[in-house]
Amino acid sequence: MKTCESCSFYFAVPADAGDYEPGKGDCVTEKEDAKGKYWLSKPTTNVSPSCSTFK
Amino acid sequence: MATVAEPVNYNGKVINFPLERQEENDIPEDMLHENLARPSTERTKRLKARCRWKHASAGEFIDSEVRAGIERMRFITEAHKASEGQPEVLRRALGLANILNKSTLVLQQDEFIIGYHAEDPEMFPLYPELAYMAVQDYLMSDYSPQPKEEAAAINEYWKPFSMQAKGERYFSKEDLTRMYQVSTMEAPGFATGYNSVVPPYETILQDGLLKRMEMAKEKIKHAQEQMEQIPWNANEGLEWIAKIDVWKSMVIADEAVINWARRHARLAKIVAENFESDPARKTELLEISEINHRVPAEPCKGLKDAFQAKWYTYLLCHAIDRYASGYAHKEDELLEPYYNASVIDKSFQPMTYLDAVEMVEMERLKISEHGAGKSRAYREIFPGSNDLFILTVGGTKPGYLDACSDMTDAILEGARNIRTTEPSIVFRYHPVGRVKTKRLVFECIRDGLGYPSIKHDRFGTEQLKYYAQFSKNNNGATDEEAHYWANVLCMSAGLCGRRKTQKTRSEGGGSIFPAKMMEIVLADGFDWSYSAMQLGPHTGKATDFKTFDQLWEAFRTQYAYAVSTVIRAKDVMRYFERDFLQMPFISSIDDGAMELGVDAVGLSEQPNGWHNPITTIVAANSLVAIKKLIYDEKKYTMQQLVDALQANWEGFEPMRLDFLNAPKWGNDDDYADTIIKDFYEDIIGGEMAKITNYSGGPVYPVGQAVGLYMEVGSRTGPTPDGRFGGDAGDDGGISPYMGTDKKGPTAVLKSVAKVQKNQKANLLNQRLSVPIMRSIHGFNIWKSYMDVWEELNIDHVQFNVVSTAEMKAAQKEPEKHQDLIVRVSGFSARFVDIPTYGQNTIIARNEQTFGAEDFAFLNTQL
Repeated sequence: MKTCESCSFYFAVPADAGDYEPGKGDCVTEKEDAKGKYWLSKPTTNVSPSCSTFK
Repeated sequence: MATVAEPVNYNGKVINFPLERQEENDIPEDMLHENLARPSTERTKRLKARCRWKHASAGEFIDSEVRAGIERMRFITEAHKASEGQPEVLRRALGLANILNKSTLVLQQDEFIIGYHAEDPEMFPLYPELAYMAVQDYLMSDYSPQPKEEAAAINEYWKPFSMQAKGERYFSKEDLTRMYQVSTMEAPGFATGYNSVVPPYETILQDGLLKRMEMAKEKIKHAQEQMEQIPWNANEGLEWIAKIDVWKSMVIADEAVINWARRHARLAKIVAENFESDPARKTELLEISEINHRVPAEPCKGLKDAFQAKWYTYLLCHAIDRYASGYAHKEDELLEPYYNASVIDKSFQPMTYLDAVEMVEMERLKISEHGAGKSRAYREIFPGSNDLFILTVGGTKPGYLDACSDMTDAILEGARNIRTTEPSIVFRYHPVGRVKTKRLVFECIRDGLGYPSIKHDRFGTEQLKYYAQFSKNNNGATDEEAHYWANVLCMSAGLCGRRKTQKTRSEGGGSIFPAKMMEIVLADGFDWSYSAMQLGPHTGKATDFKTFDQLWEAFRTQYAYAVSTVIRAKDVMRYFERDFLQMPFISSIDDGAMELGVDAVGLSEQPNGWHNPITTIVAANSLVAIKKLIYDEKKYTMQQLVDALQANWEGFEPMRLDFLNAPKWGNDDDYADTIIKDFYEDIIGGEMAKITNYSGGPVYPVGQAVGLYMEVGSRTGPTPDGRFGGDAGDDGGISPYMGTDKKGPTAVLKSVAKVQKNQKANLLNQRLSVPIMRSIHGFNIWKSYMDVWEELNIDHVQFNVVSTAEMKAAQKEPEKHQDLIVRVSGFSARFVDIPTYGQNTIIARNEQTFGAEDFAFLNTQL
């Protein structure tokens, strides 16, 4: 099963970050609508099952 | 083409009024406002073009993409369940931390100030812990959070814990039903969730949160040492338990906030390095990342820091921890040190004045995108806008020295340039205020923004010193603190700064409606036109009132009942807010809460009690007409009046015209003004001042209509001022009824100046002539008007400068008039987003022009 860790939108939280936990990462995705581009960041973990935006 | 004002003979001279900007001669009168925007940069032009406005009209969001998010309600509920058994103040901190740790972050193209309060830029959060009825309303709408079943289950979970469930227990069903009609009294805050706050921005910008956390930790350490002292003293020792919990809650909240801001820093860096192709924007994103890593954890060092830290604080205090309307802060003085560092000294984040103006424009557009998850009723009363976002500038420092600065000017210039409905601005007017800044205030008004609204600087300052004497802990505002104030919402002055600011609307805010009270006074307290119920105490049949005094006293009884009931509701809510709606983050940045170890919601150092009578002038004009036509001239009997009103004047038109043509407020008419002055001072203010609220001080009236003059007008039957049932009420707090001020602008000032006693604030709405204001004499006329207004000791004034031709053109072709802004009452709105009913009330306002007599009274130099 694919997990977040192998997704290009997964960015591991640096070890010196205040919210660091082993395996914790940010899922950052780009969106675009009629009013322009924006980016979303959701907390995730490296072992979370991949979602439909997996890339 | 443009209209030019007719010449006036004044002081032996013919005064002509050519337009100040010659090029406007070629702009059609009905398209003027579409030609006034001038964003400072291409970036702010783009940001405005794509702005995600969240305006509502008649309670419905105009943009179909706008909707409620589920994340906040999900995460606070999750934390509440997980923290069962822990002290309530810690549960509140853990709730905030869970939201901040798990929420989705948003970063948008082009923006420099970043951060949002929901999981998508078209969304806004909901607050089931505050008001389950408000959430239920969303669940039944097109804006429901998804998945709806989960949202419904969350709402059901909160019902027994909610403020509404707690507060309702202490009111009779009769009183609750009366309040829920929102026709003599506003519904209680424990049911609506509507709130306001003045965050102590100063501490977060000056100290940074790391320092605040250290302060709290030191306090905990000290408290524990005290508890361990031998011999044990329970009288003192047990006091530390609650304090330790409060300080612990501060640490939890601040740590979560720092991590949340630094998640934003990571997001900006990730986008720069992985998504952005434009090198300039990439560099900028890395700068944004650096700023967001540093603030609000550390003190701000430059203007970019300050705007960002302020924005985060705003989101936390007004949208994430709790919902609160408003944008109360003294923005120019708050930002001035950082402006000086960046623009004057160029010691950190160096920039030019125009760069500062761009920052202001960007902040205004952030506010314009800010969605508020408030209930339908509160969306209805702010048509054409998002919410009440109002900041304050100008005024004086201790010793009544001018507080205006170049930062003040940048704020005003940015507002004038970008033309957004929000945030509104309050300018504190004092004679010592520099002319350069007053000129910019005028230009915003002249360009039709409807703001700044003007507050009397000395009046507000002295008022806060007066309230200080009632401080429960003898620590009310000092002279220095009293000079540092902003409007809490539209109208009421409240302290800003590091401590003693208002933390909840249960201190000040909420409405009562004298017009409806006038209606029921004539029906023994019964509401025959709207709810068909006994809406107030039995005060006798109107036909039995043999004297005007009996009518007067019956009104007093209705009013005293309503005022005591609504303020009791606020204080009952405060009681439960103190124990269940603590705000650890705000506590952490309030010096008083930090020093004393008391949560900021419960702590009251500076009383500032106020409540809003709305539609007072309909009631007042009604009393005048009754006195004149029934008791003085005996032209009609009370029975005839009651019959005519019950018929909504149908079949009684000549009689209605007599009542309509009776003397009206705002014309410097001694007959009307003597009665109305007494009405304000003896009943409206006098009865309210008898009350003592949670903070130990009196409560005073703040007359302000917002959009409630429309909503409540529609629920108010015909009134003896000649008004038909369902027509709007008066649109201010002390403004003449629309179209009835017929003696010019200075007659209005003379009437209003007569009311001085027992008032905290009163909103005066005036509509000024566009050709006069846009003429070469516009500023001189306006400034002479303002100087006299100040001398007359009038608390407030705000202006519309918009032509009837342009408003009517916008009604026909709204798509061509997206930049037409009008002042409703206490807030500005996009005209085309206001329902027709409301638009017509603005068109109906008398457009005041100025004649020679006015110029003479104002001593205008032309």
